[in-house]
Amino acid sequence: MEHQSHPSIEFRHVPMVPGVLSDLEQLRPALLRDVAMRTRDDFHVDTPDLERVLSEALYNERYRLKHKKRLWLRPGADEILWKRVQNGLLKPAAEVDRAILLEQVIDHYAEEIGGHFDSRVYRVASRVTPVALSFLLNTGMKRLLPWKGIESLRDCIHIVGEVPLLQKLATRGTVLLVPTHQSNFDSLLIGYALHLMSLPPFAYGAGLNLFSNPLIGYFLRKLGSYTVDRQKQNAIYKQTLKNYSVRSLRAGIHSIFFPGGGRSRSGSVETRIKLGLLGTGLDAQLENMQRGHLDSRVYVVPMVMSYHFVLEASALIEDYLADVGKHRFLLEPDVGNQLLKILGFAWKVFSSRSAITVRVGRPLDIFGNFVDDDGTSIGPQGLRVDHARWLTTRGELRAEPERDAEYTRQLGGRLLERYYRENTAIASHLVAFVLFETLRKKYQDFDLFRFLRLRQDQRSLLRTEFMQAATHYHERLMQLVSQEQIRVAPELMTSDMERWVNYGVQQLGLFHEGGVVKMRDDVVTTTDLRLLYYYRNRLAGYGLSLLADQSPGSTDGKGFLV
Amino acid sequence: MEKDFWSKSIVGVVGGGSWGTVLAQLMSANCAEVRLWLRDEELARSINGTRVNSRYFPELLLDRKICAYSSFERFFDGGEINLLVWVLPSMVCRENARRIAPFLHGHELILHATKGIEVGSMKRVSEILVEEMPIRRVGVISGPNLAHEIARQVPAGTVVSSLFPEVRSAGRILLERDFFRVYEERDLIGVEWAGALKNILAIASGALDARGCGTSARSLLLTRGLAEMVRFGVRLGATEQAFLSLAGVGDMLATCSSSLSRNYVVGYQLAHGEKLDAVLQRLGRVAEGVTTAESVGSFARLQGIDMPITQSVCRLLEGRITVDEMIRQMRE
Repeated sequence: MEHQSHPSIEFRHVPMVPGVLSDLEQLRPALLRDVAMRTRDDFHVDTPDLERVLSEALYNERYRLKHKKRLWLRPGADEILWKRVQNGLLKPAAEVDRAILLEQVIDHYAEEIGGHFDSRVYRVASRVTPVALSFLLNTGMKRLLPWKGIESLRDCIHIVGEVPLLQKLATRGTVLLVPTHQSNFDSLLIGYALHLMSLPPFAYGAGLNLFSNPLIGYFLRKLGSYTVDRQKQNAIYKQTLKNYSVRSLRAGIHSIFFPGGGRSRSGSVETRIKLGLLGTGLDAQLENMQRGHLDSRVYVVPMVMSYHFVLEASALIEDYLADVGKHRFLLEPDVGNQLLKILGFAWKVFSSRSAITVRVGRPLDIFGNFVDDDGTSIGPQGLRVDHARWLTTRGELRAEPERDAEYTRQLGGRLLERYYRENTAIASHLVAFVLFETLRKKYQDFDLFRFLRLRQDQRSLLRTEFMQAATHYHERLMQLVSQEQIRVAPELMTSDMERWVNYGVQQLGLFHEGGVVKMRDDVVTTTDLRLLYYYRNRLAGYGLSLLADQSPGSTDGKGFLV
Repeated sequence: MEKDFWSKSIVGVVGGGSWGTVLAQLMSANCAEVRLWLRDEELARSINGTRVNSRYFPELLLDRKICAYSSFERFFDGGEINLLVWVLPSMVCRENARRIAPFLHGHELILHATKGIEVGSMKRVSEILVEEMPIRRVGVISGPNLAHEIARQVPAGTVVSSLFPEVRSAGRILLERDFFRVYEERDLIGVEWAGALKNILAIASGALDARGCGTSARSLLLTRGLAEMVRFGVRLGATEQAFLSLAGVGDMLATCSSSLSRNYVVGYQLAHGEKLDAVLQRLGRVAEGVTTAESVGSFARLQGIDMPITQSVCRLLEGRITVDEMIRQMRE
């Protein structure tokens, strides 16, 4: 039973551990040059094809600049570039060399993507972050004392799982950390958790939207983050981004990105993985191996966070429901008083405490095999996996795009499986699950969208009925734990039902105006069915729901995530 | 260039039954050496001495490049095997995969030719191989291939399917002959399931023929049976396309209308009032459809997949209904 963080983590100030990223400023010019060169080579095609590639990029970019929200801080530079490309393409190839236009586009993208690293900013950030976190997580009065700031986080952040192995692998090879993504808060939390683990700085593939906030953008840019703009869908951008990731992993820069794409809209654990950047781990390792470093390794380390509350939960679940429901989902007008909301939020922040679990999952190799304490890949029956052999085709160690894409697809599948197994069930999610499922049993004919419009008087259960269901679901959850299908937080490792239920009710969506679940006298009721669904979904995909025989991410006949 | 590589390669065949022997013979024309593993030491010695697999093909003279082994140590000794063809019954796949695993290096490509699934777990053979062996590049050979016909070099074709293109092309290069055409297909799940599911229909088809139901009845069975196969396969992640290929419809037509098919024979003899145990014993070889029907039937019931023909075949195999009742139930 894990009551707190791994013993190797001391909540005290940790001096910066230098890593390859610390030398980014020296490496950067050569790295960007290499990225640009590689990308140019990838588009080494004849002029008509090059013209097509450039035209497609121009079309996509002009559409983006016209219709999408501007994220990049230098939209002017974007416009100048694309105007130049347009003018160039209008002239004959003999007059304007397409290869030079391509070069300009690639250089522009490479400069946009590439990060910087400033050790001074890192040191400031490592001092400021615990203070910010302790305020956000409300660690009690201790947080007001500067020297107690970090220590007070001990009760609020539980960093558990394969901490020593991650520490070891970070010295043995390059780590590609791939966390689940629920909240904008994730990045801050992960960055600080890595720092507490005495790991060297990690480069973070951050959505470009985060950079548009000047303060956050400044820190991200100076801490080695590279930008990922999901609005740019053209082949040149994607290839430049991929090559940047490959090149920095090859150089030994530990990296983080969220393979699920954006934050989970439904609240569930990731059900899909984007393979583009994930595959750069294999590419980087293979390139190093081809250069004679046969023992070069990239380790893929999953990480799963569990929150009792997610500040953006309302917006996220509305997004999700609007997307899957289309015409069946009706947006409710927001009638809340903004000032009251803020006051309510502040009151809750100051009057309660909440803990977050950060679990470091079992590290995998680039194929999805587990690795042992020495970083050696272990296949079926404990047999050692020979990477060079797995990457050999027709007797030669070589890149085979389709083979490597399939290996990466299999890694993605494995990663999804690991996310579910490494997920930590917490009391609030179980409370949400119990209440949602028990209510649903009463209205089995309703589809999801009709169910979400239940009247207030239809959303209640008798306490006895609720407790009975809680006992049942708790038992089933513990069965899953014994089968290693899921992890469980310490508060649920008890037979004292009253205790975990009360704790869960109190913690569930702590900061949402009006709360999510209320327990008064003999009645348990929900004040917000959508939020209840959001938090309940963290336990979807385990076969606990009414129709429980489908794979994670699928919905039953009535539209509920199973 | 790819052809060059395979023409200089050693390939292995695990399983010296009728289809394993024919596959070894097919590949011998396109590679440097074929190693054939079989359980029976005596038979291995006899094959090496006479170049004939007397148990299955007394009339077929095997190529000189084929050498038989009965021990895995010797099978894997010497030059490295680049591709393995796996031709063992599904029920012994897992245990043999475990035995072979320590001999593999990881570069080997594996193509299996087993048209069955694991009882209980419902796992496809490619899944079992990946679970038990330190390799990932697997695929399947499947199609309307009656071993004795292919041995006579009558015009025929097959499908090689894998998620890895190099496995597909290796299979095509090694197996293709003037009389034998090889098609590549990406949908591994579909091809494996099509190969397994059609065996259930073959049992029903054998029973119908034994009752003299005629061509119209068989057409009805096969058309409805194909719809059943597609429903099931799609639910498990396959595409419809795979079921319409040579490995789907093609294999179904061959297996369900040929007295050379083991599963067909099972249905035929059951319709003549024989007991299942006696039929299987007399057959002396594995009829994958029997175990596949049990697993698929119970899975479909649990999942609510509509498979009336499979359910009728299950009841027939369990001895709960007669062939006439099965035919009646299939009409309902």
